[in-house]
Amino acid sequence: MSYSTFNQEQNNPLTEPMFLGNSVNVARYDQQKHSIFEKLIEKQISFFWRPEEIDVSRDRIDFNKLTASEKHVFISNLKYQTLLDSIQGRSPNIALLPIVSLPELETWIETWSFFETIHSRSYTHILRNLFSDPSEVFEDIVINEQIKIRANDISKYYDDLIFYTQLLQTHGEGDVVVDGKTHTVTQREIKKKLFLCINSVNALEAIRFYVSFACTFAFAERELMEGNAKIIKLIARDENVHLTSTQHILNLWQYGEDDPEMKEIAEELRDEAYEIFMTAVKQEKQWAHYLFKDGSMIGLNESMLCQYVEYIANLRMQAIGFDAPFENQRSNPLPWMNKYLVSDNVQVAPQESEITSYLVGQIDSEVNASDLGDFDL
Amino acid sequence: MANTFKVKVNGGPELAVDATEGTLLEALEKHQLEMHYHCRSGFCGACRSTLKSGTVRYTTEPLAYVRKGDILPCCCVPESDLDIEH
Repeated sequence: MSYSTFNQEQNNPLTEPMFLGNSVNVARYDQQKHSIFEKLIEKQISFFWRPEEIDVSRDRIDFNKLTASEKHVFISNLKYQTLLDSIQGRSPNIALLPIVSLPELETWIETWSFFETIHSRSYTHILRNLFSDPSEVFEDIVINEQIKIRANDISKYYDDLIFYTQLLQTHGEGDVVVDGKTHTVTQREIKKKLFLCINSVNALEAIRFYVSFACTFAFAERELMEGNAKIIKLIARDENVHLTSTQHILNLWQYGEDDPEMKEIAEELRDEAYEIFMTAVKQEKQWAHYLFKDGSMIGLNESMLCQYVEYIANLRMQAIGFDAPFENQRSNPLPWMNKYLVSDNVQVAPQESEITSYLVGQIDSEVNASDLGDFDL
Repeated sequence: MANTFKVKVNGGPELAVDATEGTLLEALEKHQLEMHYHCRSGFCGACRSTLKSGTVRYTTEPLAYVRKGDILPCCCVPESDLDIEH
């Protein structure tokens, strides 16, 4: 039952399920059960980028010109993005690697998580540029009630799966008493937790992230905070790949193209999965309310952001076989979002980019005599 | 005009689409339809549509999961007249 880093049992990975079969031994990719995961690895690696490549120095000037309510939107949004990537930079590894059974999927999970760590490092890159000491911003992420509500809902499915996997791998199936509480551990129970967890991850990457992207790009639409927007464009392109990977996992289960027991579970827990998405939608709307509590900004307000949540939830839920829950929100309320999400438009080299943050000198160097009016020796 | 097909979207009028001029998504945009999309390269799946009749050919292999009866207009062209829900 305990996890082995090199499972000595001779097994055929072509007949293993994606999760909870034999643990992976040889990392071989010459034969693959679900070759899509290697294609996603290749796609993701072809997108490699480093935060330091993007010049964010102009953002500090823009930031200081924002109104107090706009600063609140910008910083809260960045805190939320930092939280999401803090979770995603570790959780797929911790929760999924101990139970994965296919080498191509194992490597996909590692690649996926690694890219989330690039995202996390880019938030520090952005914040270091905006503040001499960004500690206060980072520290608030674990104090801020609005962020904590979300953090709890996102991490609980991961945590539950991780805990039960640990029990299975140390005690095997059966009742286990931990701190006076009895946990009934069965393989099927863990599969259920895995199913809910992957749904929650998909809701995170396919819906929650896009709400935050909308806030970032709303600033860029006004030619503000463009260095930041350039980074978030790269992050959004990566998230497009990540959300596809969890949609693949969910659809493979649903269509019975992997573990037959997971097909049963997908049917059994369909309503619970639906509720995970609807809860995410509700929470994102509450978040929109919090963001715009002190006032809206040009181009974006609470109601537009809420409409976008519904629009994006329709697309994502249909992708995994649900009917669109928001019939009245079939058209995109923020059409300008799409130009930031097109993968071909994402260019790292500043001279190839249409974003105006690439300007030699970066600072307005024009000096008039009137600028020196109050200057004396 | 062997490469031009009639494409019906959401029960609307039949639109002429030339399969040699760009993807189905681009063709429908030229007809002023509001299309859903993000990546435009076949990996995000945001342009997912239901194919009610007809066949399409992928010019780029889609990386997004294409559910039965669905197509990704951003990376395919028509091979016959089409009727789609978008």
